[in-house]
Amino acid sequence: MSIESAYQLLYSGVLVVLGILIFFLLIRAVIGPRVTDRMICVNMIGTMVIASILILSVYLDEGYLADVGLIYVMISFISVIMLAAVYIPRHPDRARYNPEAIEEFRAEEKAAAGDDAGEAPVKANQYRSKRRKPSAAGKGGRR
Amino acid sequence: MMEWIQFFVTAFFLIAACIFFIGEVVGVYRLGFIMNRVHAGGIGDTMALFCVCLGLGIASGPCFDTLKIAMILIFMWFTSPVSSHFIGQVEYFTNPHLYRHVRRLENIHKYNEVTHEFH
Repeated sequence: MSIESAYQLLYSGVLVVLGILIFFLLIRAVIGPRVTDRMICVNMIGTMVIASILILSVYLDEGYLADVGLIYVMISFISVIMLAAVYIPRHPDRARYNPEAIEEFRAEEKAAAGDDAGEAPVKANQYRSKRRKPSAAGKGGRR
Repeated sequence: MMEWIQFFVTAFFLIAACIFFIGEVVGVYRLGFIMNRVHAGGIGDTMALFCVCLGLGIASGPCFDTLKIAMILIFMWFTSPVSSHFIGQVEYFTNPHLYRHVRRLENIHKYNEVTHEFH
């Protein structure tokens, strides 16, 4: 086996593995329940594409592909930052440091730890169903 | 002989990068808490790309392309933690149930803004 074919085999194998991983990340980005999962997947797909571009630039011995990779790094970074800038100011009142939400969680935990199973699970179920089913205001039209 | 040593070092680093990338994807699929998934993504952004760049730099030798690859690596090392920070901030601002995973926040009313301590 000559050294050229060995390098060819190595680079091809790594590129195939990267392609399979990008496919799995795309599936995860589609099924991701929250927006942050999708953002993580977009970030990771960008990283893997950059790695692929770098491997191709050495494999094909084309130096300008490294410049393409540099531009791709910047675009990937800006995309994540812009997504964050879109989503951060939307819910300023739903932050984690919400004392009402913490009180609600404490009441829920206390009710779950209590003896009588009458009121507490109903409350929890109500809270979960509120998230799943669309509300009456949401049926009219999604904003 | 020297070329084969170069090839094996390159292969070692590229296969290590593949292992890091696979671990990243497995972590994103398997971990339950969102910040752990952010951490898994950050591992792939920094460590796996470092392995790729080191392997390719050894393979291509000292030339101008290696410098460009190193520049990409340095840029990625600066931007990837910022991206992870912003993703965590999005989760912090949009997830009203995040405090359930962070036990310390139950004592948020004990937080002292001057000393930044809980007491």
